[in-house]
Amino acid sequence: MGLESYVLIAGILFCVGLYGILTRRNAIGVLVSVELLVNAANINLAAFAHFGRGLDGQVFVLFTTALTVAEVVVGLALVILLFRRRKDILLDLANGLKG
Amino acid sequence: MTLVTWALLSLFVPLGVAALIGLVVPLRRTGRPAALISVAGALVSLASAGMVLAGGSAALKPGVHATVGWLTAGTATAVGVHLDGTSAWMLLVVTLVATCVQIYSLGYLHDEPPPALGRYFTYQSLFLFAMNTLVLAPNLLQAFLGWELVGLVSYLLIGFYFRKPSAAKAAVKAFWVTKFADLGFLIGLVTLYAQTGGFEWTAVTPVATFVTLMLFLAVMGKSAQFPLHIWLPDAMEGPTPVSALLHAATMVAAGVFLIVRAEPLFEQAALTRELMAYIGAFTALFAACVAVVQSDIKKVLAYSTCSQLGYMVAALGAGDTFAGYFHLSTHAFFKALLFLGAGSLIHAVHSNELKDMGGLFKKMPFSGTVYILGALALAGVPPLAGFFSKDLILEAMHHHGLHVPLAALAIAAFLTAFYMTRTVMLALFGAPSQAAEHAHEPGIDMKLPLGVLALLAVGAGFLGGPIAGLTGHDYAFHFTPVGGAGTAIGLVGIGTGYFMFGPARGGAAIMRGFAPIGAFIRLGLTDRLATVAYGVMLAIGAIIAWIDRYVIDGLMNWSGWILLVLGRRLRALQTGNVQDYVYAVALAVVVFGAWGILR
Repeated sequence: MGLESYVLIAGILFCVGLYGILTRRNAIGVLVSVELLVNAANINLAAFAHFGRGLDGQVFVLFTTALTVAEVVVGLALVILLFRRRKDILLDLANGLKG
Repeated sequence: MTLVTWALLSLFVPLGVAALIGLVVPLRRTGRPAALISVAGALVSLASAGMVLAGGSAALKPGVHATVGWLTAGTATAVGVHLDGTSAWMLLVVTLVATCVQIYSLGYLHDEPPPALGRYFTYQSLFLFAMNTLVLAPNLLQAFLGWELVGLVSYLLIGFYFRKPSAAKAAVKAFWVTKFADLGFLIGLVTLYAQTGGFEWTAVTPVATFVTLMLFLAVMGKSAQFPLHIWLPDAMEGPTPVSALLHAATMVAAGVFLIVRAEPLFEQAALTRELMAYIGAFTALFAACVAVVQSDIKKVLAYSTCSQLGYMVAALGAGDTFAGYFHLSTHAFFKALLFLGAGSLIHAVHSNELKDMGGLFKKMPFSGTVYILGALALAGVPPLAGFFSKDLILEAMHHHGLHVPLAALAIAAFLTAFYMTRTVMLALFGAPSQAAEHAHEPGIDMKLPLGVLALLAVGAGFLGGPIAGLTGHDYAFHFTPVGGAGTAIGLVGIGTGYFMFGPARGGAAIMRGFAPIGAFIRLGLTDRLATVAYGVMLAIGAIIAWIDRYVIDGLMNWSGWILLVLGRRLRALQTGNVQDYVYAVALAVVVFGAWGILR
């Protein structure tokens, strides 16, 4: 398989993630979709590193994974807070910022 | 010290005094010390004015001009002093009368509470500064500043007894009438500036007629010419010394002085001058008629002032500047004397009404004598001051072929002598009223100014030659048929007055018959005129208020409303749903990406 396949897979994964973010009502579903976005980027990094020269991209993947862990922790904490306040985690009902 | 230094001294010492006793509140509250400081300031001012004049006509003849630039950004104008014979002599007249009045006020306002006394003298010093600003003005702009300042002080002093509703009302009336007229000054100034790029007294411009007409409107307000004279009789609500200084001798003469100063401008406007001659003559006659039927001694003198100012304006209209200027100076002395003399009578009987006086001559021989001297000077009895200047005006009218105004002025001369004799007879002779029983002479502080002014009322007529020399005119007294007739008319007036109000009381019944006519003139004409003018002002005000409320405010409100609606629409974009925002971001990335590729 060439580089194109990896990039195509990453692109599909990204679109799926974006679709999930835009359409899921459930906050946890949105968090999962965010993971898909990050992993699409990771596939890109790893693929370009593999077909190009050097290990920079692969090292970056490790960094991103660690970053994502932290992000998920924060995200889940927000979800818990949301649940405590509203007894649900439906994002379309949490529109307190409405102008 | 140079002439300019002396002039500046006479200008700024009163300002310093006004600032000192006006701003240092504890000092002002002490009353009498503040008053004495003010009097001292006036004396310094008078002495400086004297030093300016002592500089001699040689230095004054070419005129001394000392200015500093003012508002130099965009315009080229200046403030400073312009000294020549005209302003130097006027400076002396103003400071002299002001000093006399301030000293007189020490006695006249003796019973006022100290804070009120301090306030009074603050205004007096401020007035002296304002008037000197006007007199020494090197251009029309500074004259306008002084003009407005004296108007302000006039308002403050008319309303001195502001707890009295009639005084407060009179002050406001004086303010709005003169302010309305001052609009003319402003329009004239702006026009002059637009045409010549400056505010010079000697400007030459094709629109001189318009400019002078506008200036004359201001003069009509300040110098109480018909139909804008309506504020002056009401202004008598102020203390009598104020009436003497502002509303007889100096401030109301500012209008006349303005025309004298702006003579080069007025010379270019034949139409304005003709209008002045007729309005002045009509005012002289009309006000003299009203003065005959007044029962209040100050009102008689107020209408008399209107009438005499009419004489001056008419003379200036005829083109004889010197006649008007000379009458201004002599009038300043004898009318101030009359007012202060009347004040001394009022002080003794605590009433302005002629019927509360009577037989006062025996009780108050000094005040009575000076009052009679003033009355004779006003009536034009030779060789007192009024004789020279009034004859000169009549002669000037005759010389310039203005026969209708001349006739009006001649009748006014008869009426002047008549009503002055009436006040003398009613106030000083005849049966004393109850209030007059306990009348007594005032103290030395009131007698001294009366004496000084009496000397001037008697002798100022002989100064005609020197004043003419100072101001660059030719004048020597010589007997003329018209002048002689004027004097004779005056004497007949005195005789008629004596017959009607003297011991014979020949005309008391006749006068009673005339009373309804007097009431008609006073109420039917003057007050209705005020009502009409008031209505016009209110209508103009209403229009401007409408424009302000609906056009200017409307524009503001409209732009505000537009923003409000726009904001309300834009608010819909903020759904509060996080996913919508993400959608907007994603869409933007796609749009910018597409733009980047297709570019």
